[in-house]
Amino acid sequence: MTLGIGVIGAGFAGGTHARALRDMPGAKPVAITAAPVEHARAVADECGMRLEPDVASLCAAADVDVVIVASPTYLHADHAVAAARAGKHVFCEKPLARTPDQARAIVRACDDAGVRLGVGHVVRYFPEYRRAKELIDEGAIGRAGIATLTRGSFSVASARPWYQDAEKSGGVILDLMLHDLDVVRWWFGEPERVHARRLTGRAGALDYALATLRWTDGPIVQLEASWAEHDGFRTSFEVRGDAGMLVHDSRAASPLSTQVPGGAQAPAMIPVATVHETPYRRQLRDLIEHFGRGEDHHVTGRDALRSLELAFAVIEAADTGAVVRWR
Amino acid sequence: MTRLRVGLVSWAHVHAPGIAAALAALDQVSFTGVYDEEPERVRATAVARGWPLHEDLGSLLAASEAVVIASTNADHRRYTEAAARAGVHVLSEKPLATTLDDGRAMVAACRDVGVRLATAFPVRESRAVLALRDAIRDGALGRVLAVRGTNPGRYPGSWFGDRDKAGGGAVMDHTVHVADLLRWLLEDEVERVCAETGSYLWGLDVEDCGILTLDMRGGAFASIDSSWSRPATYPTWGTVTLHVVGERATVDVDVFRQGLLHYDDRARRTRLVPWGEDLTRRMLAAFADAILAKKPVPVSGEDGLRALEIALAAYRSASEGRAVEISEL
Repeated sequence: MTLGIGVIGAGFAGGTHARALRDMPGAKPVAITAAPVEHARAVADECGMRLEPDVASLCAAADVDVVIVASPTYLHADHAVAAARAGKHVFCEKPLARTPDQARAIVRACDDAGVRLGVGHVVRYFPEYRRAKELIDEGAIGRAGIATLTRGSFSVASARPWYQDAEKSGGVILDLMLHDLDVVRWWFGEPERVHARRLTGRAGALDYALATLRWTDGPIVQLEASWAEHDGFRTSFEVRGDAGMLVHDSRAASPLSTQVPGGAQAPAMIPVATVHETPYRRQLRDLIEHFGRGEDHHVTGRDALRSLELAFAVIEAADTGAVVRWR
Repeated sequence: MTRLRVGLVSWAHVHAPGIAAALAALDQVSFTGVYDEEPERVRATAVARGWPLHEDLGSLLAASEAVVIASTNADHRRYTEAAARAGVHVLSEKPLATTLDDGRAMVAACRDVGVRLATAFPVRESRAVLALRDAIRDGALGRVLAVRGTNPGRYPGSWFGDRDKAGGGAVMDHTVHVADLLRWLLEDEVERVCAETGSYLWGLDVEDCGILTLDMRGGAFASIDSSWSRPATYPTWGTVTLHVVGERATVDVDVFRQGLLHYDDRARRTRLVPWGEDLTRRMLAAFADAILAKKPVPVSGEDGLRALEIALAAYRSASEGRAVEISEL
């Protein structure tokens, strides 16, 4: 069975997903919409998709089985709930929604409609994070005691103004740190408490946040998320156990780099693909395989809701200065 | 040129051999030798190098205008008070003391008799750190908004895991360097500390992991990783790094980056062999120059006390699970 895919949104995420679907076994990209719809024309032409005038018509289309929600964060809930009510399975970009209440409404709508919900926590499909999880689970570093994960980009608000409006994007914690919050839940389970600080709203388009999470019997984890990495996207992690340490630095791990006369190129928003199957495609392939078999995807709505709630605990900790309990 | 007569009190600290060698080599210093509470552990080295080994503290103090104290942290106070009574200037290893009472007593003892008290924060001598300070002062970064600092190292062994002698574990050992850099670079004071600590890596009674989050009075926030988290197989003892987010620039400093990677088949391991400048030697020279010129020492006892407060606030924060104001101490 081939699943027909409809995509809402033609920005960075929508375009990435549409392109990844072009030669995907078991799936066919059939329709796309954006606001205004003209924004989706280039992606539609490139990927052989039909332009739908709006979300309602895309969700109503008979040849659409799965709706990918890749609109701005603050619109996820409206779009995902509309898709679920139309009887479509939903794959929603992270963050699942702008608020936990909205995210719960999405989960409820999918349950009520009997459709599946998957969420785009794509870092779980990055090979370095998967390999680290395998090594941690195998006991390669002993018991984890302390870990640091960093994630940075130039200020995306310069390219997409809605990011700069914390009301719409949730700032760097909800947009960027959420990835690593999801990763550390995946690696270590649920933390006990968190404290944090953030710049959000105090330095224009720059944003930066630090969070410290504590698991009851370890590890202690520090997360850094930055929209002040002017050279472009980078990630790192370091996990220290009582028998060793794992270290990743995206800047040191790229097998390809290019320089041009006159200096720096435009900074990258995501890493240049240096694996044949990008994590974005691998994520969708996993989703299509699971949905095609009538199963849940690796990252369910409930799992993503937990990561989102943890992000809101971090935001609460940052905005109150207090140590916030989790669980 | 006039040389300052400087002695070394105690061989307990892992830095003592490097300090002694630097004092013996500096042009502006006449090294008056070593006093140690366990003289047998230093005797062979002192004889081999031709350094006087003093059998009692009074003898070293009588021979010296200034001393460097490289004892256990808990002994800093009694040695500083003895030096002050003898009218001898003091450069104390860090942390300045293990309790606020001790640190305040040291500052008072030296102030009362008019000798200078300095704290050993050699990282201020790093050319990279100085360049960052200049850049901040010149406005190249704009307002500094946030700093992520780290000072992770290996567990140093010896008495460093003994709470009575060290005053704590990794947080006591490694918080103060970055704490001092933050105060000095931002020209600001820490208002509040929030921390998590744990003992997870080396099987110690004291903590070997610690992350501190600091609110500066001026509105910036910062963090310090003060863990003994470098594995035994790590190519060097540890690192001091700063990731500084300014309004107009983001700056990374990695103080001990300058080294050669030595892939050593005979030892079956890889080492980072430093070729950067000897910061301890530069710190000792700056201390001696200040005393000779009758100027304030570059890093004072009060600076050491401020950094100690931050480590002590971290302990209270971690044990009580809440942010702690420095003013509560």
